[in-house]
Amino acid sequence: MDFVFDYISVNTFWTILLIIHGLCAIALLGALTHQATAVLMPVRQAAGAFTERFRAVNSAAYATAVCVLWVITFIMGAWIYIKYRVYIRVPIERAGFWKTQGFFELKEHVATIGLALLPAYWFFWKNAKAPEYDSVRKWLTVFLAVACWFNFLVGHVVNNVRGFGS
Amino acid sequence: MSALASSEKFRTFVVVFAIAGAALYVICDFAGLPLFTFHPATGRFEWGYTLPRRGEGPVMYWYGWTATTLIGAAILGGLATLLPAGVARKIPLFLIWLVPIGAIPLLVYSLMPFWTK
Repeated sequence: MDFVFDYISVNTFWTILLIIHGLCAIALLGALTHQATAVLMPVRQAAGAFTERFRAVNSAAYATAVCVLWVITFIMGAWIYIKYRVYIRVPIERAGFWKTQGFFELKEHVATIGLALLPAYWFFWKNAKAPEYDSVRKWLTVFLAVACWFNFLVGHVVNNVRGFGS
Repeated sequence: MSALASSEKFRTFVVVFAIAGAALYVICDFAGLPLFTFHPATGRFEWGYTLPRRGEGPVMYWYGWTATTLIGAAILGGLATLLPAGVARKIPLFLIWLVPIGAIPLLVYSLMPFWTK
């Protein structure tokens, strides 16, 4: 990877990775939020208002994209975590932001648990017409959506505490 | 991919993988069972759980916990595919989301030093 640093600075490189990580997280957040609202409040007639159109998506079509996005976001986050541990966490601890760091640790835990759920999530969405999987599909999707929102918000707050330009 | 989506054995694998994944991760966290320890400042990998080395900065266990979890869950999922279909079908599907939900309070508790400082 060192050849990259002939063209851009080290800081720019890690900033680009962080932005890609964030953009993937936003795409994931959108897809999972659409799916979760669709399974929690299914639309039973033609969509009209914005809230109905938001819920009236073809949820099954999102499944593979969600899995791919979760994996990419996870890998990017895991890569950035190397620098975070040395250059971000240490100053955060020195500044006494223990709860912020605690939530970041929880974010990592949640990300791994979500990763382990992806094969099941994919399988049950690929069998979206099987009514016996309706309940597990719904709650698995809601869990992943809540997990994604939690991780996104924690990542955003940690970036505010010590992110760009710090 | 469509063959996987209609495979009974794959169904068993993903069900056990999901349940075991959440449970194993909590066990790895509480029992300190990373497959390896990573030293981010030096790029050093060491098998299992090791402590920070003097002058080499902090250590990271999360990668090792994740590796242990994914490999362990894959092994258990693979073994579960050997079960007769009738037995595998009896694994309650609600455990797939209930076990991860149950894992969260335990993981929050494991982070108690961060909440009480």
